[in-house]
Amino acid sequence: MNYDIYSHFPVLAVMLYFVGAFIVTLIGKRRTARNIVAGAVMLISLALLLALVGPVMLDGEIITYWMGDWEPAAGYAIGIAIEVDALSLFFGLLAAIAVALAGFYSFKYITQDDANGPFFTLFLMLSGGVMGILLSGDLFNIYVMLEVMTFAAVGLTAFRTWNPNAREAAFKYLVVGSIGSSCILLGIALVYAQCHTLNLAQISAILPGNLNPTTILAFALLFAGFGCKSFMFPFQPIAADAHGAAPSSVSVLISGVFTKTGVYGIIRVSYFLFRTMGLTSIQTMVVFIGCLSMFVCVTMALNQHDFKRLLAFHSISQIGYILTALGLCTGIGIAGGLYHAINHTLFKGLLFLVAGSVLYGTGTTYLEKLGGLARKMPQTAALFMIGALSISGIPPFNGFASKWMIYQATFEKAAETGSIGYALVTVVCVVTSVLTLASFVKVGQSVFFGQLPLEYENVRETPLSMRIPMWIMAALCVITGLFPEQMIQYVIGPASAAVLNVPAYIDSAMGAGYAALTMADYSYLAEPVISFIGFWDPVSWLVLFAIVMCAITLASLMGKRSRGAVTLADDERHAVFFGGEAAEYSHVAGADLFWGFKHNLRGYLGFMSRAHSGVTNDYVIWGVCALAVITAYCFIFI
Amino acid sequence: MNKRWKRDDLIVRSLADSYLPLALVLGFYVILHGNISPGGGFQGGVLAASGVLLLYLGYGFRGVATAVNMERMHKLEAAGALAYVFFGMLGIFCGYNFCRNVLYNSGSIGDLWSAGTISLMNYAVGFKVLTGVGFLLLLIIALLSTGDEHEDDGTIPTTEHEEGGAAE
Repeated sequence: MNYDIYSHFPVLAVMLYFVGAFIVTLIGKRRTARNIVAGAVMLISLALLLALVGPVMLDGEIITYWMGDWEPAAGYAIGIAIEVDALSLFFGLLAAIAVALAGFYSFKYITQDDANGPFFTLFLMLSGGVMGILLSGDLFNIYVMLEVMTFAAVGLTAFRTWNPNAREAAFKYLVVGSIGSSCILLGIALVYAQCHTLNLAQISAILPGNLNPTTILAFALLFAGFGCKSFMFPFQPIAADAHGAAPSSVSVLISGVFTKTGVYGIIRVSYFLFRTMGLTSIQTMVVFIGCLSMFVCVTMALNQHDFKRLLAFHSISQIGYILTALGLCTGIGIAGGLYHAINHTLFKGLLFLVAGSVLYGTGTTYLEKLGGLARKMPQTAALFMIGALSISGIPPFNGFASKWMIYQATFEKAAETGSIGYALVTVVCVVTSVLTLASFVKVGQSVFFGQLPLEYENVRETPLSMRIPMWIMAALCVITGLFPEQMIQYVIGPASAAVLNVPAYIDSAMGAGYAALTMADYSYLAEPVISFIGFWDPVSWLVLFAIVMCAITLASLMGKRSRGAVTLADDERHAVFFGGEAAEYSHVAGADLFWGFKHNLRGYLGFMSRAHSGVTNDYVIWGVCALAVITAYCFIFI
Repeated sequence: MNKRWKRDDLIVRSLADSYLPLALVLGFYVILHGNISPGGGFQGGVLAASGVLLLYLGYGFRGVATAVNMERMHKLEAAGALAYVFFGMLGIFCGYNFCRNVLYNSGSIGDLWSAGTISLMNYAVGFKVLTGVGFLLLLIIALLSTGDEHEDDGTIPTTEHEEGGAAE
């Protein structure tokens, strides 16, 4: 127990957001003062967390901070703790960066809305709730912060109250989010009844050796609850509705930060509290849910007509990648999952901000109405390309490095266990990546390229104050992609080591030697070994891509001597793609781009569209069924 | 709302007059004694905030609106929350941890003033809940009473796909 100055930093980082939220309320309508307070709060919190990188990430220290100096006595942790290990700090930094960039973006972005006073109150409440979950060492405080976060997010979803879609989406979000919260509360109650403590470290010492029906039910409830917060497979329609209606800077938080708290909760529950991740059955369950989220959401995304709904489905698809990688329970799997978590926050944040800029400029995100915006908004188009290439996993951007690690992890798992299932998982991962690229080709084609509709002749480039946060995110996308070795050494490595180093987490809170006394077995708790197969230097891959592109361009140029003399069939809309014809307003709409592919899969896609009915009752039934299936599975296989 | 409801009913108004002081006194009693008896800031705050409802029952929306300033109540709620954080921060200022009780040796056990910082934080919570719940009640009352005078949310746009549409 040390009282270095930096041990105060985590609690200050959390409280500052709330203080900022209340000061913003006090300030009221004065816009400049409000922006200064909100900006200062976000920057100071980020700086406080960055100051912790040295001791926590590099020196491997775990900061335990007892509220009001209520330290554990007689072997029981009664007080409320804040415990920051490398994993917490990793997610905390992610959240702070996304919050700061989205916040600076919204200063200009929300000036179009009339009632922008409460925006920053709710925005900072949401950030503070997220930060509280990520840094807390107490199960019930996690629940309280989860509720703060959920209700702030619901309020922000309904922020544009004049839009009936927003109100409906917020209602759905409220109902289904409450299912998740109730599951978590019930799970916490069961855990408390069994362990008589709420401290995460002490529960992870006591609980894993004593699995009985009550704790198995508690595990299923907590897993489903946090899964609901991360919008994993059966909960994904809510995310689509919420993202479609919320302001874009809020979508950045919901997709990049809010869902990450669900992932963080799943890691804490299954790697720390119950330590069930060592069981093959739970690994299978998590990987299966991850694959379903990945594949179902990417096919749904292919079918969307709204920019932001499409991004929302992709967001859940990427969460599927993260869950799959984490469910493998190998060193490289965890590292790949965490790497993808940071990348997902960056590129999906960038894409949502681009969607916000398109909305700001044109007033719509409906893909069929847009087109040719690259001429009017060249920088936004460039930013979109960076985000789209990152999410599709094209080197040298960041998606490539983490997806490569996930492919390798699933492949190694298949080789290790000898099961055909994990090999199929690799295939699903690759196919999802291809479909992701396909749907971003569609977005790029229908928003930024092709013919510019007449009504957008006067669209101007995004304002500078909105472009700067986007360029910072784009720069981070490139940096995290270009230096994967350094990222793994300094950021991902410590975080993934912390996932497996449960004894250190327990000892830091409960005093040295407590873990050795109470922990039943250390079975799968080995140091993660991260080694890479193959040649995955992003720069060489980029060179290879460039050469192949040159070859294709050359071949197509040489082959097409009769350019411009192509005669078109009557149905020009489908016949032309990028010929040199001069037909006017033959812009291939996004929905028509993959019409053949969609036509062949019409059975599946039609079924999925009908299943996403938009009725709250249906989504509630999905959620309850998922909870029932997870509970039954846990009872049968644990 | 029932149109035949007579707002200026003498019985209702006299009862509201006599219960309003009781509600306020009970609320402040529970807030003040939060550290030595059941209840506390939250419960006392809600009790005291019921005064707003009594005012409404007795004097109608116009009576409440003249008696209480809604905007100020909203601001005071934020001030209450800031006061709570400030008393929590006292621990850090005095060299201990957040939320540490820095006045723990004041008064003897069972006295009204015996819990140090905890009492202060409790009062802050009571103030925040009193103003917050009062503000919420006012908001609900205001929404109820504007039913026939003016419809301010009657303009619902019918765009299906557009989130913004605010390009003007």
